[in-house]
Amino acid sequence: MGYVIRIKPKPIQPFVFVLAPLASFALAFLVGGALMLWAGVDPISGYSAFLQGSLTTFPGLMQTLIQATLFMLMGTGIAISNRAGVLNVGAEGQYIIGAILATYIAISYQQVLSPQLTLLLAMLAAMLGGALWAMIAGVLKGFMNVNEVVTTVILNWLAYRILQWIIRGPLRLPGPQLYPMSPPIAITLPVLEPSSGLNAGLIIALALAIFSYYLLFYTKAGFEIRVTGSNPELAKYAGFNVSKVIVLSMAYSGALAGIAGGVEVLGNLHYLFEGISIGLGYTSIIVSLVARDHPLGVIAASIMFGTIYSGSSFLQTATHLTYTFSKALEGLIYLFVLVTTLFAFYEIKLVKVK
Amino acid sequence: MSSSSCDVVVEMRNIVKKFPGVVANDNVSLKICRGEVLAILGENGAGKTTLMNILYGLYLPDEGSIYINGKRVIHASPKDAIKNGVGMVHQHFTLVDDLTVAENIVLGAEDFKVYYNPGKLIEKIREFMKDIGLYVEPSKKAYELSAGEKQKVEILKALYRRISVLILDEPTSVLSPIEVNELFKTIRRLKEKGISIVFISHKLDEVLEIADRIVVMRAGKIVGELARKDANVRLLASMMIGASGLSSIEEKFEKNTSTGRKLLEVIDLWVKGDRGEDAVKGVRLSVREGEIVGVAGVAGSGQKELAEAIYGLRPVKRGRIMFNEVEITGLPTVERIKLGISYIPEERVRYGVSLELPIYENIYLEKIHSEKSKRGLLEALGVSPLKKRVMLEYAQHVVNKFGVKTPSLTTVAGKLSGGNIQRLIVGRELERGPKLVIASEPTAGLDIAATNFVRRTLVDMSRRGVGVLLISSDLQEVLSLSHKVVVLCNGEVMGVVIPGEASIEDIGLMMTCSKKMSIEEVEKIWAM
Ligand SMILES: Nc1ncnc2c1ncn2[C@@H]1O[C@H](COP(=O)(O)OP(=O)(O)OP(=O)(O)O)[C@@H](O)[C@H]1O
Ligand SMILES: [Mg+2]
Repeated sequence: MGYVIRIKPKPIQPFVFVLAPLASFALAFLVGGALMLWAGVDPISGYSAFLQGSLTTFPGLMQTLIQATLFMLMGTGIAISNRAGVLNVGAEGQYIIGAILATYIAISYQQVLSPQLTLLLAMLAAMLGGALWAMIAGVLKGFMNVNEVVTTVILNWLAYRILQWIIRGPLRLPGPQLYPMSPPIAITLPVLEPSSGLNAGLIIALALAIFSYYLLFYTKAGFEIRVTGSNPELAKYAGFNVSKVIVLSMAYSGALAGIAGGVEVLGNLHYLFEGISIGLGYTSIIVSLVARDHPLGVIAASIMFGTIYSGSSFLQTATHLTYTFSKALEGLIYLFVLVTTLFAFYEIKLVKVK
Repeated sequence: MSSSSCDVVVEMRNIVKKFPGVVANDNVSLKICRGEVLAILGENGAGKTTLMNILYGLYLPDEGSIYINGKRVIHASPKDAIKNGVGMVHQHFTLVDDLTVAENIVLGAEDFKVYYNPGKLIEKIREFMKDIGLYVEPSKKAYELSAGEKQKVEILKALYRRISVLILDEPTSVLSPIEVNELFKTIRRLKEKGISIVFISHKLDEVLEIADRIVVMRAGKIVGELARKDANVRLLASMMIGASGLSSIEEKFEKNTSTGRKLLEVIDLWVKGDRGEDAVKGVRLSVREGEIVGVAGVAGSGQKELAEAIYGLRPVKRGRIMFNEVEITGLPTVERIKLGISYIPEERVRYGVSLELPIYENIYLEKIHSEKSKRGLLEALGVSPLKKRVMLEYAQHVVNKFGVKTPSLTTVAGKLSGGNIQRLIVGRELERGPKLVIASEPTAGLDIAATNFVRRTLVDMSRRGVGVLLISSDLQEVLSLSHKVVVLCNGEVMGVVIPGEASIEDIGLMMTCSKKMSIEEVEKIWAM
């Protein structure tokens, strides 16, 4: 007799879970292809460049994994705080603080202590720095109910300012430079694959994602996190310390973002400059969203986002497309991923009513 | 009145609705006549709410159709239902606390604009209320209202949308007898205006008082229909349960006669409410081992604040709380849980469950504190592993004992019917071995069999030395189970009575602050 549109949340189906991201790629590529035509580049060669830069060649694949490492660390952290009902928009700032502290420790001690010890100290500093930076927002939220989105955004801005200052002041490489930067870091995270520089950061990220999964679903702490996130009133009633859960899950989230900062400077760049902050912390929010705040889902989503990132970056070098164009394409794919995720998580169907 | 000879407003034909693991409505057909009160009765999980949610457009039926005034309609959302004159007041309140009554009433209706004149709106709503003959001060904020007033606003909200059929899903479960009477007056007035009312309730006496026609559901089907004049309590009960297996409908309970030492003592307790007002004013009460102490009062007389203060959820302004002769006034909730205090909260969906978490985790909840891991470091870090098998086994035991109807233990709690959520909470709080149970509206929303079961369990527990503080708007329940009853009005103790020794009239007067016992009289009863 008629048709009606129904929209309602639905349980995860593994099938849709895999299909949705693929569909979003396909859609984004179609639109991106049209854009390339318009920009005067043959889409076929454009896309083969994209794939070379991300999946089909060995260096491309390594690049994808290097990027995925950062998404995995930050995305897992964000997933954990989301599960506790706290939205950590501050991964970017926590990552910057982690990178600064790791650089600082590395440069201060690399000539004094053994490389292994220096590395360990630098990574610990990155982790603690990120955790403490996030805890500022956590404490404000947990004890004074100050909105965490506002505070983390402010803290991001502040972290970036500190970064700008530190590479022009205390950590400046003397002499004329193209742009302000720190002195080089001589130590490095263990390298897994020398030609690309893929390093132990990936192992750390995978281990932490798997540990987080265990933490969330198989431990007492994870139980408290999930109860608090799904109904804070119930958590209080059950005798959980809600403020503590909020502060600690924020700290955990920040610690992982801080480690990402440490991995970036100690494993990939080996110096510090403003360019470490390119919004990966914000992209990681989408990573955790696509993964539905599931740490194992974050592993998959990170590799997907790493592919997009490195593929679109290579597009720029391989064709005459500009940096902005490849960034636009990257953004476009993220957008499609977001929209299809919605379709995957919500049942939107046309129902025939007899 | 029978549905075959009446002016049919709504007709639902052959409705089928399936959820994973259950058929909530199994080929149900129902007619609603103009200006009648149609009661729907049935056990917890029988499918009453589902059927009405379909009429209100919250669910589409898998099969079947709806006719309004003889015309085929599709209710794909409540908007469609309201357009066709169907309104619904749910089991749980839906008002926005920080908005005024007037704003709450117009919220979501077509003529609510971003820019409006609050004064004018309030006047307009005042006029509307006078037309209807149902009044709640429109300038009050929703959080200032008592349960009875909130109920009225929910009804006004529906009526404002010019509906001709009003569905009330268990509207009386937390109302005191006085408020129930008010509600019935309203229902009769609406009936005179030609509005049809669907009334869902588990209380047979209420149904017999207000309904014109009664429909009984069991396991998703309609199993009987009666005019009020043909109905009686016994008949209805046997229709609901199937066999005539119900021994007695209003079970009588033998109270425990040997009470022990003082378990809980509350001394000159002052507690603030959500608005900063004094909600509990100088309350003094005690509960002995094996004793059931009732708290009677109109909803919103400070019962909730009192219970929350004893459980450590709300700070105490002045006074002391003693448990087993040790002061616990400042202890966090977790310590009180470990001491053996249980609490069945009154707003079950808000405080009692996480709708997104599976049933077994909802049941295990506080028992997590009693787990002692041998691995001290993991314990200290809070990452000691959950024992999923133990959790599942325990949950299965509670589900069986308290008859929680669910397809599986891993189903999320949000998929349970209202009464089954209540069974889950009651089971969880009574099964974890408490020494003291604070039971707020423990039988709200439960069907007759489950109500009797919970009451019997409370009495059995008292026999084993457990103390119970029983807070209920159901005066009959309080009087039949308790050794002593504290009557609250406006946060103050108006008196303490022994059931059977005080008249209902006196208790009624105390509940409305019209009578107060002297301190000597009260002390005499506490000393008994
Ligand atoms: N959204 C849902 N998803 C899955 N199952 C559901 C859902 N809603 C209801 N059910 C199931 O359908 C059955 C009927 O539920 P319904 O809420 O209609 O019962 P009810 O008669 O209103 O019971 P109560 O007296 O406890 O409120 C129950 O078994 C319930 O678990
Ligand atoms: Mg119901």
